[in-house]
Amino acid sequence: MRAALSTLKFLEAGSLSHAFKIMKTHPGIMPTAGCTDIYVSLNFGTLKVREFLNLWGLSELRKIQMKGDYLSIGSLATYTQIIHSDSVKKWIPMLIQASSSIGGMQIQNRGTLGGNIGNGSPAGDTLPVLAAAEAVVVLGSTEGIRRISFNMFYTGYRKNAMNPEELILSVEIPRIKSQQWYRKVGTRAAQAISKIVMAAVLSKDPEEQQDPRRIRIAFGSLAPTVIRAFRTETALAENGNITEAQKTLLSEIQPIDDIRSTALYRQTVAANLLAEWWGKVSPRSLIKS
Amino acid sequence: MTLKINEPKAKESTMAKAVQWIGAPLDRADGELKTTGKARYAADFPLERMVYGVPIVSPAASGSLIKLEVEAAEKLPGVLFILTHENAKKIFPIQNDFGTATKLAEGRFPLQDKKIYYAGQYVGLAAAETLEIAQEAARLIKVICKEERSALDSEEELPYSYFPDNNWGTPLPVIRGNFEKAFSNTEVQLKAVYTTPVEHHNPMEPHACTAVWDGDNLILYESTQWVVGARNVVADALGLPREKVRIISHFVGGGFGCKGFVWPHTLLAAMTAMHLKRPVKVVLSRSQMAAGVGHRPATHQELSIGSSKQGKLTAIKHHTITQTSFLDDFLEAAGGPTQSIYSCPNLLVSYQVVRLNHGTPTFMRAPGECTGLFALESLLDELSYTLNLDPIELRLNNLSDKSPEEELPWSNSHIKECYELGSKIFGWKERNPKPKTMKRKGFLVGLGMATAMFPGVRSPGAAKVKILSDGTAEVLSATQDLGTGTYTTMKQIAAEVLRISPHRIVSKLGDSSYPPAPVSGGSMTSASVGPAVKSAAEKAIEALIHISIKDSSSCLYHLPLEKIHAADGKLVYQDDPSKTEIFEEILKRNNLSHIEGESFVKPDNSAEGYTVQSHGAQFAEVEVHPLLGQIRVTRMVGVFDVGRILNQKTARSQAIGGMIMGIGMALHEKTVYDPRTGRVVTDNLCDYLIPVMADSPAVEADFIDKPDPRFNSLGVRGLGEIGITGVAAATANAVYHATGIRIRDLPITPDKLLKWL
Repeated sequence: MRAALSTLKFLEAGSLSHAFKIMKTHPGIMPTAGCTDIYVSLNFGTLKVREFLNLWGLSELRKIQMKGDYLSIGSLATYTQIIHSDSVKKWIPMLIQASSSIGGMQIQNRGTLGGNIGNGSPAGDTLPVLAAAEAVVVLGSTEGIRRISFNMFYTGYRKNAMNPEELILSVEIPRIKSQQWYRKVGTRAAQAISKIVMAAVLSKDPEEQQDPRRIRIAFGSLAPTVIRAFRTETALAENGNITEAQKTLLSEIQPIDDIRSTALYRQTVAANLLAEWWGKVSPRSLIKS
Repeated sequence: MTLKINEPKAKESTMAKAVQWIGAPLDRADGELKTTGKARYAADFPLERMVYGVPIVSPAASGSLIKLEVEAAEKLPGVLFILTHENAKKIFPIQNDFGTATKLAEGRFPLQDKKIYYAGQYVGLAAAETLEIAQEAARLIKVICKEERSALDSEEELPYSYFPDNNWGTPLPVIRGNFEKAFSNTEVQLKAVYTTPVEHHNPMEPHACTAVWDGDNLILYESTQWVVGARNVVADALGLPREKVRIISHFVGGGFGCKGFVWPHTLLAAMTAMHLKRPVKVVLSRSQMAAGVGHRPATHQELSIGSSKQGKLTAIKHHTITQTSFLDDFLEAAGGPTQSIYSCPNLLVSYQVVRLNHGTPTFMRAPGECTGLFALESLLDELSYTLNLDPIELRLNNLSDKSPEEELPWSNSHIKECYELGSKIFGWKERNPKPKTMKRKGFLVGLGMATAMFPGVRSPGAAKVKILSDGTAEVLSATQDLGTGTYTTMKQIAAEVLRISPHRIVSKLGDSSYPPAPVSGGSMTSASVGPAVKSAAEKAIEALIHISIKDSSSCLYHLPLEKIHAADGKLVYQDDPSKTEIFEEILKRNNLSHIEGESFVKPDNSAEGYTVQSHGAQFAEVEVHPLLGQIRVTRMVGVFDVGRILNQKTARSQAIGGMIMGIGMALHEKTVYDPRTGRVVTDNLCDYLIPVMADSPAVEADFIDKPDPRFNSLGVRGLGEIGITGVAAATANAVYHATGIRIRDLPITPDKLLKWL
């Protein structure tokens, strides 16, 4: 049964430092921005939290800006903002693809990148992009600011490495001298929760050819959290043999059967997507003899 | 904001030298109201002292209710009343019969006993000052049940199934010739099993009811496909004279069958309003829409088909195993099309029904026709490959001038023209008949077709037409516009008779106090109410002529009435067209505010000795991704023979809507129940997929548009359902053509294709 909104407490943060204080003094409070996930769980009656902190007014968390050699995207940047950002378009176009595939326009106007990270759904559409981009999540609290690698952020199904009083402030995306690739597979053509999502980058920069991180592959909807397919990346980097890489991939994912897909489909399509991507991007020069 | 209203384009008829309004592609009369938010649906009436009701539902799928723990809810400020089986009004038994317009959707009244038949069944209602308080109260109430073993699995329950002996009076099984003998002797034999899942209607507007008592009169603002049926059921059940109950349903945000009959929440609203003596509004949540307001039951269809090598059908067997609840004997009659399209001398159509602890199924757009045609038209496609025959040729081989079922000539049938025109528009000739041969931009491309059909149905219907002294006119009928265009088409019929512009006519529908009309189901509104509007308009004109020839001040005084007719808002004397009088002058001079004609039209016997049936040809093109198995319908064409078209625009919209709903059936829709609890898992529009715009391809709908005068005075047959009927099969056949993989289980999801690709 739907939770009655009048039974909920909704606190307003006047400033970032005020927000930090509220987070410290109200244990269990849930920070909110676009509320696109929270409303759904409230409607289903599955959300136990009754106290919320509204961050929506904190415009300093909405900025998208270049900061030296990385792009900083504020946690409150909406998908619509990201889709229309020239900096994002230049720096990480696959994030635009991912943002465009989320919900409809109304959801894109309200949903935020920080919300997608905080919600931590294994099917979160932007998360494989952040994993493949080796983004850094910037967290803040009354204790100060700290940074954590996105690939270390999730610790289990909808669990993360944040302290209870911390807020997500921004995401920092280092320069990617690589070709970027993003695919979302859903049962219908739009407004679908994914059956599988893949993001991948492959550097063609001659200077990076010895760098083992030149191939980076991430998947959503294949495991309890978004995952980087590290062993598959190594396998491809070492000999470029796609058949072996596909086998490796199948050993490092744990898809399940659910109402959106079968595990078998997810396994097969993960391997097919890997092959499709590799077929398009792999230059012979990359393959060690 | 200003709205641009398109000027109607109408045909000039040379014979009558008058405008033909019937058929003109007029914009919807209710379009502006809907796009500007002025149209009021059942939950949109802001009444003073409104009470909000939220149903309390059973978590268990079977057993009995021990008690409701209501104390915490009752303490909540703003809670007014908790309706339970202990304080519910006693409901009077009713006839529960379609023929007498007293049909209940669920054959049991709410809160009259403690028995539980399905998860989500109403066990009470929380009424409060605000919706939120009512929701919170419903959430706080603990429903304590004694659970019994639930029947939740069709296969497990099969031993306890029953074999229905009739379908709406037609004896079952349907037997022609000797199937077994003919099948064993036939040259080509094919057998296959096709399955379709439970589907939910999920109209955008949920079921809603606002109940208002005014003394001992009850008004219900109700989202319904049948105001008259709702009026009768509610009045009889509450023990009220029918004239004391009024159902208003001016607009319906989609029904597709689930709003055909009265569901229990309507009675809960009325009972609560009676107790509190205040207006009560009950709107079902999307989750409640999945539990107790009907669904299309699943089918398991076993088909055997025998044919000569030349493709002449010799024997068909169609056995359907389907489901119903423990409360009603609903039958999804999937064998209907098998017995009524193609001529085949040996036929056996039978059913087996399993009872489950689910809510009662109900009619869902083309019930039986679209599930049955998926199976039949898929198997015919399989046969076409076995015989190496073009699928259209195979179908043409098996058509007859007489209906296979009744062995009577068709009242009017243009099925061959449907195939011809459809294949021309679609470009069927470009198809390489060999599967897996057509490709485009890395996708496998497939082209498929199927026959569409729906029987011609009509019922008695009544209407009143008023000519007002300001020169305008009104059409009144207790039919309802489900979003299909009835407001517009009924005006057009009246305009053609009254010879005035439809923009001077207002349709007033959706009110049980108007002349009675049947359920808007079975695609019968146009064929049932349309002739009544025509006849009522004729009577109104006749009455006006009578006044004018008796009026000594009129230039038509004492002229022979058979030589006076209506033209361009006037009465005109045929032999001297200078003798005319405009409608309003006659009325004003005689101090009349209006003049009216009312007509109750019953199906006459002009169609006796004929079978009335609509047909169509449907074509689909799909693209299949070879690595992902994703399927997109890229093009669809449907050509339908549905008699005369009342409005080219609304007809086309309705056919397109049906075809897009067919894409949902083919590729997306499936209701999933939790096998442990019997609750619906896909009880929301995130998990229950229907096509979005990105899934909706270029769709072309066309009509043969030839009247069927034997069926009724307008020659119209109705088209609400036929659009969906052939889509699932045409799509499945296209998927086979693209991939060489035959999927016999709907929906055709990428998961089912991938293991073969």
